[in-house]
Amino acid sequence: MTRDDASIPRSINDYLAQLRGALDGADPAMIQDALSDAETHLRAECAARLGESEESILAAIIGSYGSPGDVADAYRQTEKTVQAAFATQSIRPTASRTTPNILRQFFSVYRDARAWMSLFFMLLSLVTGIFYFTFAVLGLTLSLGLAILIIGLPFLIGFIGIARALALAEGRLVETVTGERMPRRARPSETGGLLARIGTMLRDRRSWTTLAYQLLMLPLGVLYFSIAITLTAFGAGLVGAGAGTILQSLGLDVLPGTVSLGTSELTPWLALPAIVTGVLMLTALLHLARKVARIHGIFAKNLLVST
Amino acid sequence: MDDIARKFQRDLNVGLVALVLLGILAETSDDLYGYEIAKRLHQARDGEALFKEGTIYPVLRSLAAAGWLSSRIVPSYSGPPRRYYRITDEGRAVLEQWRGIWRDTRDFVDQFTGDPSP
Repeated sequence: MTRDDASIPRSINDYLAQLRGALDGADPAMIQDALSDAETHLRAECAARLGESEESILAAIIGSYGSPGDVADAYRQTEKTVQAAFATQSIRPTASRTTPNILRQFFSVYRDARAWMSLFFMLLSLVTGIFYFTFAVLGLTLSLGLAILIIGLPFLIGFIGIARALALAEGRLVETVTGERMPRRARPSETGGLLARIGTMLRDRRSWTTLAYQLLMLPLGVLYFSIAITLTAFGAGLVGAGAGTILQSLGLDVLPGTVSLGTSELTPWLALPAIVTGVLMLTALLHLARKVARIHGIFAKNLLVST
Repeated sequence: MDDIARKFQRDLNVGLVALVLLGILAETSDDLYGYEIAKRLHQARDGEALFKEGTIYPVLRSLAAAGWLSSRIVPSYSGPPRRYYRITDEGRAVLEQWRGIWRDTRDFVDQFTGDPSP
């Protein structure tokens, strides 16, 4: 599996390009991590060997850090082991059951931490959505407005920089909730002066898709929040009303009056179906939340992680 | 022949890298960042470390993901920000267990492969 091809990297960028090539086809988030790790290390090595040429340092590095092919293998190997570990963790609760009971499967969602996190994520996304939208709109309009002034460009650069940092943070949140692999490191910047770095940042497609994500998070957040809150309230309401009506009919005075569903009064006979419907609704919501989070994870990955 | 030796070494390293990294971080009271750890490995064997420095980074990350290391990011003047690692109590417990496994394994293997020098 050695891929020490004819071309020996002569510069850090060369090395990173070869590492990227060796990791071709792997998870983009992992590639981003690997490139960032390599860049940090190689720069530290160069800083420690001031005075030597980059080419001679690189030659030594292949020996100590490993060739791009070796390093790529190490990331693939570790990722595989870690994912296998995660996989066994999430499979365990259902795998131990031998009876393929549909009801049990349906209700097992209550034991799934990821489903609860997804529901929380749906509720939270209204807040983050409003925040991202405000941030993006404010930043874009102020950048446009200030463009005629000398501070316009620095403002735009600062704004894009913060947007990218927010994208990384959002990625961590999405990975925690959905399990979709997102970058754990900032993307390595090109070498060269400050201007070159700024240039790459502005030319990077991901900077702009990140802004698109932040704008889209408002409508999505509103949608997620509405679905979550409506189903929670309705489901909990049905359970509460049903339970209350039953207790009422047993002589316990827990309700201020009677509960009406539409035009008809909730009778003790209807109370049980109401409770069942409510519970089903809450359970279905958890299933839905898990699905929504999974789809959102793919969506976030496409906009926040460059491929 | 050299390839076969390298492959054997790499297969052996799969679990050992994690053990060594936990060991290094347990011995020091400071937080270390990746490059420092790599240099310590390097010095320990007079320049020819048993594993490539590039292979420790993914392992460091997975150890942190398991909660055995904690990490923090510190901006650096000379380049990209550095991630400093510190072993957690959970990590120390794991290391203690792994040390025992490693000693048993080493003694067991030694019984069969023997030590040619007396």
